[in-house]
Amino acid sequence: MTYQEFKEAVTGYAVKNGIADYELYYEGGWSDSVEIYKEEVKGYSTEESMGVCFRCIVEGRAGYASTENLTEEEARSLVLRALENAGSIESEEESFIHKKGDDYAVCPKEDSPQPSGAELVEAALSLQKELYQADSRVTDGTQAYMSYSSYKYALCNSNGLDLEDEFSMAGCYGIALVEKDGEMYDGFENKREKSLQAFKLKEIAETAVEEAVSTIGAGSVPSGKYTIVFSNKAMATLLATYSSVFSAEMAQKGMSLLNGKEGEKIAADCITIIDDPRYRDSMVKRTFDGEGVAAYAKSVVEKGVLSTLLHNLKTAAKAGVKSTGNASKASYSSVVGVSPFTFYIQSPEERPEGEKENHSKVPEALFRKAGDGIYVKELMGLHAGANAVTGDFSLSAKGFLITEGSKGAPVRNFTVSGNFFELLKDVEVLGNDLEFIQGKFGSPSILVRDIAVAGQDA
Amino acid sequence: MLSRELVKEALRRALSTGADYAEVFAEHTLSKNINMISGKTDKIADAVISGVGIRIFQGTRCVSGSASSLDPEAVLGCASKVANALTGTAVVQDILLRERLFGDVHPVKIVPGSVANAEKIDYVREACLAAKDYSEEISQVSGSFLEVDHQIFIANSEGLFARDRQIRSRILVHSIASRDGENQNGAVNHGARKGLELLGEYDPRELGKEASRQAVTMLHAGYIKAGTMPVAIENGFGGVIFHEACGHSLEASSVALGQSQFAGKLGTQIANEKVTAIDDGTIPNSWGSMNIDDEGTPAQRNVLIENGILKSYMIDKLNGRRMGMASTGSSRRQSYQYEPTSRMTNTYIAAGEDEDSDIISSIEYGLYAKSMGGGSVNPVTGQFNFAVDEGYVIRNGKICEPVRGASLIGKGSEILMNIDMVGKNVARAQGMCGSSSGSIPTDVGQPLIRVSSIVVGGR
Repeated sequence: MTYQEFKEAVTGYAVKNGIADYELYYEGGWSDSVEIYKEEVKGYSTEESMGVCFRCIVEGRAGYASTENLTEEEARSLVLRALENAGSIESEEESFIHKKGDDYAVCPKEDSPQPSGAELVEAALSLQKELYQADSRVTDGTQAYMSYSSYKYALCNSNGLDLEDEFSMAGCYGIALVEKDGEMYDGFENKREKSLQAFKLKEIAETAVEEAVSTIGAGSVPSGKYTIVFSNKAMATLLATYSSVFSAEMAQKGMSLLNGKEGEKIAADCITIIDDPRYRDSMVKRTFDGEGVAAYAKSVVEKGVLSTLLHNLKTAAKAGVKSTGNASKASYSSVVGVSPFTFYIQSPEERPEGEKENHSKVPEALFRKAGDGIYVKELMGLHAGANAVTGDFSLSAKGFLITEGSKGAPVRNFTVSGNFFELLKDVEVLGNDLEFIQGKFGSPSILVRDIAVAGQDA
Repeated sequence: MLSRELVKEALRRALSTGADYAEVFAEHTLSKNINMISGKTDKIADAVISGVGIRIFQGTRCVSGSASSLDPEAVLGCASKVANALTGTAVVQDILLRERLFGDVHPVKIVPGSVANAEKIDYVREACLAAKDYSEEISQVSGSFLEVDHQIFIANSEGLFARDRQIRSRILVHSIASRDGENQNGAVNHGARKGLELLGEYDPRELGKEASRQAVTMLHAGYIKAGTMPVAIENGFGGVIFHEACGHSLEASSVALGQSQFAGKLGTQIANEKVTAIDDGTIPNSWGSMNIDDEGTPAQRNVLIENGILKSYMIDKLNGRRMGMASTGSSRRQSYQYEPTSRMTNTYIAAGEDEDSDIISSIEYGLYAKSMGGGSVNPVTGQFNFAVDEGYVIRNGKICEPVRGASLIGKGSEILMNIDMVGKNVARAQGMCGSSSGSIPTDVGQPLIRVSSIVVGGR
């Protein structure tokens, strides 16, 4: 049956079972992607996905059930499963179905045309060609990917809310492999745009290849304490890993050390962290959150002071505040949690008072300030070596030495260790090179001192 | 799940533009995850995952498609869309589907979906309460019970028509200890390709206590001083070192494209001669086991490394074509939405001949990694890293005070040569492994081993 018919069937069963408060959440989309190996199409994939989640509130307790099968029988089972699950919840914190009355942003309808399969293949082949042309040492194993995807989110509930967000984006990913003396080196670049035409393929290829080539002959460093410049992407990776510490849900459960720290200084003066559901450069533009609350931009940290944690309706009610519109679902089948939209550390030039002294788009200005130290270009193993509960991290890194204020020899096979909460306080200066990873988390480069590094000791 | 006529028509359509191989994978999965925090059930996720994934090969080129529906219309539509990416004429004509029954070597005594929430909740609660009672420093405990009933169906143009039902259960307890604005955590988990009978095998109170013991121990630990040193890595989840440092680089998905440090190394020495490593998808009821892989090939026991010599890769059908080698029954996918590729199942370093006590006493100054966290690897360069959840300093051959915040990093090909002592007592532990074909259950394992020299990150 169609989603509309399924919606009516579910509503019917909900009413029949005496459920007054319920919500149906829909997530659907499609994606076409192509993968190039050597000079040929290695794989082509075309996916369509769809799922719905029914959530009901019985005596303040939320029960969930989700499905990908839109049948009459499944509509019935969905309601009964959610009802049983609601009955098993013991937590006394109240859950809610959102009421009408929010002021929702309007997102302009997109008009970039969907590329054909042939156009997708052509763009990917062009990128592959650019990768090979960027440097003579580029070897097989180098790959180009191109994709075009469309997403739709819809939410309707028993309070009459009926919301929908829709957007599309093109994705481009290049992996460059370089071989020298039997050792292999790799580099990546990945971009998202509204259309395939918007990709600067040559630039993307050169960035990926440069990343691989520049690490040739990388050595290690002796263990010790160093002044570190974290690249914009490395810092964005840390912010992504620790984004859950800004969740009121984690805080209320005692799993974030920011619990109760609203209004307190938690970071250096230069740190302002913004959460924006419709960030100007983001491909993702959302008007409502996972419970149907209007999504809006807010600063979470303002000049070092924690202005708010991120809330959904449940955590907001418990804290006696308004939801910040950050209810989230990792996928349609997930239970409601809390997470940011586009989440980034503001670069100085974006501040209203705009720092004038440091206008460099590249981290070189930070190298000069660092004097001697290490430029950490990339951090690895975040899901293992970084702990959101403690804030501790001990991560594998690669990058370059900083010698007398300039970028020096490449280094790898060392770890940087510290604590995220201490790091936020210790940031000495920011670059003006805000960059995003996963299209979602962003930061400029940062300079910190006295970071523990473990390397190859004699 | 799908009728023979429908599958035959889908395969015919998929092959209509010149593919030499077509495959239909259908899935109907029930999964439930019950979460408890502060001794009370907090959230229950309850999902039905249902859809079809179709692939066609033309030589080493692959076209794949998926749809979140098992409706005949959706299945045939998906087949047509996939075929549309090629432009030739059919080369495979007659498909004779012969149903094949694979025995189930992973019997399940209690199908979790047939039991009400309450029984599972009571078990998790008992574990959580014991964890909370362990010490006044335990500030928070969460626990969960996960059940998955994964029914798969696979048919292909070679005539395969097969199905499998994979039931898995997992229990997790996570404790946080706090003191003076500082947190440390500890966690315990057990999973198996079993039903609810899994719970009968563990005393929930012991699970809770163990998670809290680890958290409290770490709360009172100092940071390890960073440096290069010998490390003794305990059995069980310690096997994550082999999984990351070597296992991923032996997957055909990396090897076939020349993206692995071990490509072209079959028959050569890649590890210390004390190292024998095995990937075995046939271990009865083990977390990473299966009857057939996600291409319908029966699971196998693959010896990857024997006495240091590289014997085999883990291979799926598509990469096997590129490598000119047969599938090793290693093709896996999280769901119909992911294209399958070569992955690990239950991977472990086999028992050696060293006594545990000799391994510890051989180390003058180093680290004893009692409990490992997760890790990751770049298969191209072989650079890996992983976290030590519970570590102790070894001084003069004796295990001394606990240390926190340690991580191990290095290069796969180097670490394998440096495993110079291998104990006798193999244990395996459960994890979820994430890669291009999604997140799948895998076991890691090993006896106590000594790595003669490795970079230990700390402060």
